[in-house]
This record gives sequence, C-alpha cells and structure tokens, in this order.
Amino acid sequence: MVSFDRPTWRLFRLPALRRGSWFDVRRVSGVLGVTLGLALVLSSCGDGKGSSNGSGAGGTKSEVIALAADPLDFINPLNENSSPGIQIAQAMFAPLVATDPTTGKVVNVMADSVTPDKTSQTWTIKLKAGNSFQNGQPLTAKDYVDSWNLTAEGSNAWDNNGFFAKVEGYDALNPPTPEGATPKPTSVKTMTGLKQVDDLTFTVKLKVPFSQFGLTLQYLGLAPLPEEVRKNPDAYKRKPIGNGAYKLDGDWSAGGDIKVVKWDGYKGPNAPEADAITYRFIPNADTAYNEFLAGTVDFVDVPATKIKTFKTDAPDGWVTGVSSGANYLVMPAWDQRYKNPKLRHAFSLAIDRKALADLVGLATPSSGLISPDIDGYRADACKYCGFDVAKAKTLLAEAGGFSGPVNINYNTTSATGQLFAEAIGNMLRQNLGLEVKYTGKTGSELTELAQQRKLDGLRLGGWGHDYPSIEDYLTPMFKTTGDANFAHYSNPKLDALLAQGDAQANPETAIKLYQQAEDVALEDMPLIPLYAKQNAYLHSAKIEPRVSKFTGVQALYATFK
Amino acid sequence: MTGFVLRRVLAAVPIGLIVTLGVFALVFAMPGDPLRELAGDKPIPAAVLAAKRAQFHLDDPFIVQYLLSMKDILTGNFGTTFAGADIAAQLQLRIPVTLKLATMGLVIQWIAGLLFGLYAGFKRNGVVDRVLLLATLFILAVPLLVVYFAAQYVFGVELKWLPVSGIAHGYPLSYLLPAVCIGLTGFAGLARLTRTSIVETANADFVKTARAKGLGEQRILWGHVLPNALLPMVTYMGVEVGGIFAGALLAESIFNLPGLGQFMFQAIKLKEGGVVVLLSTLAFVMFIAINLLVDIVYGAIDPRVRNV
Repeated sequence: MVSFDRPTWRLFRLPALRRGSWFDVRRVSGVLGVTLGLALVLSSCGDGKGSSNGSGAGGTKSEVIALAADPLDFINPLNENSSPGIQIAQAMFAPLVATDPTTGKVVNVMADSVTPDKTSQTWTIKLKAGNSFQNGQPLTAKDYVDSWNLTAEGSNAWDNNGFFAKVEGYDALNPPTPEGATPKPTSVKTMTGLKQVDDLTFTVKLKVPFSQFGLTLQYLGLAPLPEEVRKNPDAYKRKPIGNGAYKLDGDWSAGGDIKVVKWDGYKGPNAPEADAITYRFIPNADTAYNEFLAGTVDFVDVPATKIKTFKTDAPDGWVTGVSSGANYLVMPAWDQRYKNPKLRHAFSLAIDRKALADLVGLATPSSGLISPDIDGYRADACKYCGFDVAKAKTLLAEAGGFSGPVNINYNTTSATGQLFAEAIGNMLRQNLGLEVKYTGKTGSELTELAQQRKLDGLRLGGWGHDYPSIEDYLTPMFKTTGDANFAHYSNPKLDALLAQGDAQANPETAIKLYQQAEDVALEDMPLIPLYAKQNAYLHSAKIEPRVSKFTGVQALYATFK
Repeated sequence: MTGFVLRRVLAAVPIGLIVTLGVFALVFAMPGDPLRELAGDKPIPAAVLAAKRAQFHLDDPFIVQYLLSMKDILTGNFGTTFAGADIAAQLQLRIPVTLKLATMGLVIQWIAGLLFGLYAGFKRNGVVDRVLLLATLFILAVPLLVVYFAAQYVFGVELKWLPVSGIAHGYPLSYLLPAVCIGLTGFAGLARLTRTSIVETANADFVKTARAKGLGEQRILWGHVLPNALLPMVTYMGVEVGGIFAGALLAESIFNLPGLGQFMFQAIKLKEGGVVVLLSTLAFVMFIAINLLVDIVYGAIDPRVRNV
C-alpha cells in the first residue's frame, strides 16, 4: 500500500514520484523541512524570482527542469516505470496515441489508426508512414512487435513486462519458476497474440476482450526500440535511440543531468516548444525547491513541506493541477469485525473530509472512488461520503457496534503518515466513541503484511491511474484478481460488471457498466474514499507550463515568453 | 615498526569481518522487501520478480547472502544496484566527490579548531576564550540539518554567493558551502578539546619547572606545552577523519553531491545490503588506516609511546 500523501503513480504525467519514493529523500526532508521551518521564520520570505539563464546548448528556448529523484542510470522506456524515467521518455520517445490536453480524448501520435474488432479482443494498429528513429531507420510494425516480445520475456526482467500479461501467449514467455531459481530464457520468444501484418500494420490479440486497450497504448512503456538497440540493449543504456521530439545532447554519463535538444527528424504531432531541455536530478526535494528560489532551475515540484508557503515564495510563478490520485482508508477484508457494510458506512460518515482535506493541503474531499478528471466521474457517486455524525452513530448501532480498539496503520517513511492517521483516528474516536490506536510500519512492510492477510486494522492508501480510464481504478483495486486489490475485496457481481464493460465496444455503454461496478464497490465499501490531491509546481518567469485538466501540469510542453 | 604495522593490519581482519557482518545483519533485519520497496505498489510479474531475486541472491539464507557479498567485494566484482546502476562506475564517480568534500571540510575544521583552541588555551578567560565557549556551545546545540538548510538558504538562495547544491560549478566552488558547514559544525569539538588540553598541560608541574628555570613564554608554549598537549588532539582528529564519512552522508544528501554518503543513503533506504556492506568496508578500511597513521604519529610526537 502506498503512503497516504503519495498515491501509486504508475504511468505518465507525474514528475518525480516513483523511484525510491517510498523512503526517498523527499520524505526525510519533509521532516527536516518542518524542523527548519520552525527554526527559520525568515525562510518564508523568498521572492520567487526564478528566471534562469537557460543552460541548454544551442537553443534559444531552453529550460531546466528539476527532478526530485535519484539520478537515472539508463534510459530504456521498456525497462522503466519510475516517474523521472517516464518524464525523460516523454521527451525522447513518442507514444502510439496520447490524451489531448484540451479535450481529454485520445488522439493518434505514431499510430494512424487503432481499431478493435467487435468484441474488443483483437486490436489492429496501423502506423503512420514516414516516421523514423533517431538513427535514421524507418519506424515499422516490426519494431513494435519485436520490442514488445523482448519486454514480455520474463527472464529479461524488464520493468514493463507486466503490461503484456493481457496479451495472448504471454504465459509461454513467463513460465512459473521455482522459488530461488533463476528463470531460464524460454525457447518461445514471441507472443502468439502479436502479429505483424505488413510494414506499418500489426495486430494484438488479447487473452480476453478489453475495451480500454486503446487507451493503454499511450503508455511509454510500449515505446519501440530500433533493431540495433534490441540486439544489445545494454550497449545503449546511456545512448538511447528514440523516436520522439528530442534526442540526447552530447554524451550522458550516469548520475549526471540529462540534456536533450530538439530532433529535426521528428515528424509526429504535439512537438513541444522548447529547443533544449536540461533535466537536473536533485534527490532532496527541499534542495530542489531552494535551487528554484535561487533561480537556477525553471520548473520544480512543490514538496509536501512547502505546501503552506509556496504561494508566497513564488507569488507569480506557481501552478497547481489535478494529480489523478485518489486516497482511501482501506478496510481489512480478512478481519470479520470490519465485515459489515453498515459499519464501513458509519466509519465513512464519521470522517469530516473537508477538515481532512484542509489538513492535507491542496486537496479536495472525495465523493467517489475515481478521480475527478476521469471520464465517468460522478460528483454524487458516493452516498456515504458526507459528514453526518448522527447517521454514522445509527449505522454503527445497527451494525452491532465495534469491539476492541480500531488500529490504524500508517507508513513511517511518509512525513505525514502519522499526522493524517491520527486526524482520522480522532474523528472516529470523537464521532463514534471508538477506542483508537496507531501502528507505524514501513510502506513495504505494510504491503507485505496486508498481502499475507496479517495486517491488523485499517491503513491509508492511494492510487493513480496507469491510463486515464475509470476502469483503471476499478479493475486493479476491486476486481477479485486485481493486482492492487488492497482490501482483498471480492464480489462476483462487480467482477461480472467489469467483464461486461471490458467486452463492450461502445465507450459510452462501457462507462455506464463501469459506473455500476463503482456503485457496487461503494455499497460494499472495501475502501473509504477520503480525498483527491492536487500537485503544485513552481515555474520561472520565462516559461508557462502546460496545465490541463486531463494531462496535469507538464513542463515539457511549456510555452516560452 | 614493520612488525607493528603488520600486527595491526592482521588484527583488523577479524574486526572487519565482525563489523561487516553486523552491518549486513542490520540491513537484513530492516523490515520490508527490498524489491517491493523499489517497485512501490506496482505489481511485479512473478517471472520478473524471480529473475531479480535470483540476480541479487535474495532468496538465499542470510549467511550465504553475506558471504556472496563479501566474495563480490574481495574479487572486485561489484555488480549492479537493484535499480540497475553499475556499482564500480558509481564508486569511480563518487569517491572523488567524497574525498574532495571530506578533505576540504577537514582542513577547515582543523584550522579553525586548532587556531581558536590554541589561542583560547593560551589566553584563557580572555575575550576570545569566552566568545569561543559560547560559540562552540551554540554550534554543538544546533542540529546539523538546520545548519545545512539555513546555510543553503542564506548563502545560496538569498545572497547567491555560492551554489545551492550540486557539483555543476566544479571544485572548489561547489564544495565550499557544504565543506564550510562540515568544518564549522565539526570544529567546536576540536577547539574545546584543544583549549582544555592546553590549559591542563599549562598547569602541569613540568611547565612550572620550565618557567622557574627562566625559559621564555614562547619557548614554554611551543617547546613544552604544545607537544604534550597534542596527544589527545591527534586522537580526536583521527577519529574525526573516520567520522567525516557520517557527516558526508547528510551533507551530500542535502547539498546534492553525488558522493559515497549519498550512495549509502540511497542503499540504506532501498535495503541494498550488498552496497551498504561494500561502503561500510570502504569506511572501515579507511578507519583502520587512519588509526594506524595516528598511532605512528603518536610515536613521532611522544617517544614514550613509540611503537616497536
């Protein structure tokens, strides 16, 4: 389970969240930052001057983007799902499709068309002609098919292997391995579901129908690698050959800044404005923030410790954007005491989400299980997400009360985990008269205990989508076999509704079915919705980052003044 | 002398084994699964997980993992970190950074500590002595983190005299601020020890004898007081050299210097036992070497403890 203030981002869009983020410098620095804040009253008087000289080579429009993360050691989008890695990949690789920042609809980038068959089980992807890699080789269907097969082979242990689990024939490349044994390369090297039709066309046959597959194609974990890289990926760890709008500027050594310049050969749509971009890795988020205040970087994430002060630190240079992150209180399905939905509803109604969101800062109270920027979001989805103490007490009584103390687990590696857990605990104590206790453990320990169904009590968790679909909230968290089913929840009715939605070719009808599934989940309430968080960023006077309701805040697509 | 050095080096071997085993055990005992820590909540396919676990020997028993790590260290076959970084390349990149930071920090610390300590000791109860007492009290009381962030904010963000972080401005500019921070926060202890040591020695009988013999004050100070007062200072300075690595851990993290301290920090948070043990071994070897050096210096300063 993810920390409370940091949902699990798995995909594009959000900077600096993943690699090592469970106990990253940001978190530690959170505590440090608070200490410092107390000690240094003067520190809130930054004046937000933030125009850097722009250090990109050659370009007139250059920007320096701070990434509050450990430096990357290699660039390979297929073996990368950390947020900084994906940000770099966004500059250097172009996806098949992308979300339009204005309309929220999926538009083609490298793909000319993406067409499902009637059942949404077999998808035909046709590429635009005339695109090439940065080494000059034309981009063909074979590049996609071969790159995907390479990633799907379990013994390569590439990070985005799991994405292909939906494709027919994946299992043959990922045979079960006895514990402790090294997986052997399989004799089968290709998935039966992937077929090249001609130079620019290939088909993907999935194991089961999946109406949302087209949306998932914007993931950069599906980027193509050219043949010379596929033959020896290790040799190209630090000299990637992309198909995107930017290429590496000069040599890049591990641990250093990553400098990219515009690549003339990029013929796809959505080319950003910047001529040159420097990605600077500053693992400590407070240090990155100070670098911005000193005017040496053009764009930075606001760390949790500065949420209360960033608007005064940079009065003319801040933006906020949706983070698609929804945060929940997780019920342990393995504990009979929490089984009764009425008790869960009582807990939910006893939580003052407005007060909690104020405490979190830059957050809005949740009224459903999915994030507000997603198609299919309903502001009134949840019937039990108001704040109604009287009703909560009645429901708790109807559920037969609760015996023993409620234990709330929090992530000790999060700067704010304990604070938020205690806020919720106090609400349950005051409003329902329950006895509450708290237990702190590391994030991975909480996940491990929960997976073994040994975790006692509630915990906090968050989720951010991989692809912008209501389905990517419901399937991972609520389907019986969901890969992020934190609560170990299972309801055949919900599974059936999801399967129907997956098999539905009409997007509108599919969303309706998914919404019915959400209603089932809200009625059973394995997760109590808490709040959705926004992200904040600072930018220098010379750039204006792109802010979209659908794709968040992106410095890559900044306009220059 | 050779015999002495040999004996010390041989004695260091079992100590090194105990230290590395202890460190490895501590990392091993940290809760949570390291690969899961790296992946967050993203489900890892079973085959991928198995491949990674096998690569890093995570399914082997504790002692086997330890021995494999030690074998890697001794054979110079460092492998990669969980995240895929080549460890040998990392060391190559990071050792110079830490060395530059540590030497600069130590030089500042020693010069400031000795200078103020000696002066305050010679002129005890004078203005410098009293100011130093207060200043060192203050420095010892303020948490390092506060000092680091405050210095970064004042000199980097507000005054813009020095870079906020990173090594983009090269040596020595990029290292100056963190080195001064390390030096100033470390000098207090040395200054106070030096002062006390000088004061104690100055009150010793042999100094009174020297004075009774009619020796000049300068000669008493430089010829009699200082050599005798030096011993505890040399010990302290030796310990400080070892301790500088611990200081670098924090300073490198906050000032974003890609040195060994930052590497250690990352390795601990990701439960990378192999890397932690490797870095601990490096620190240990350095510590042993410095201790040996201190012992040899002892002999040079004071014939009574000359090692044979």
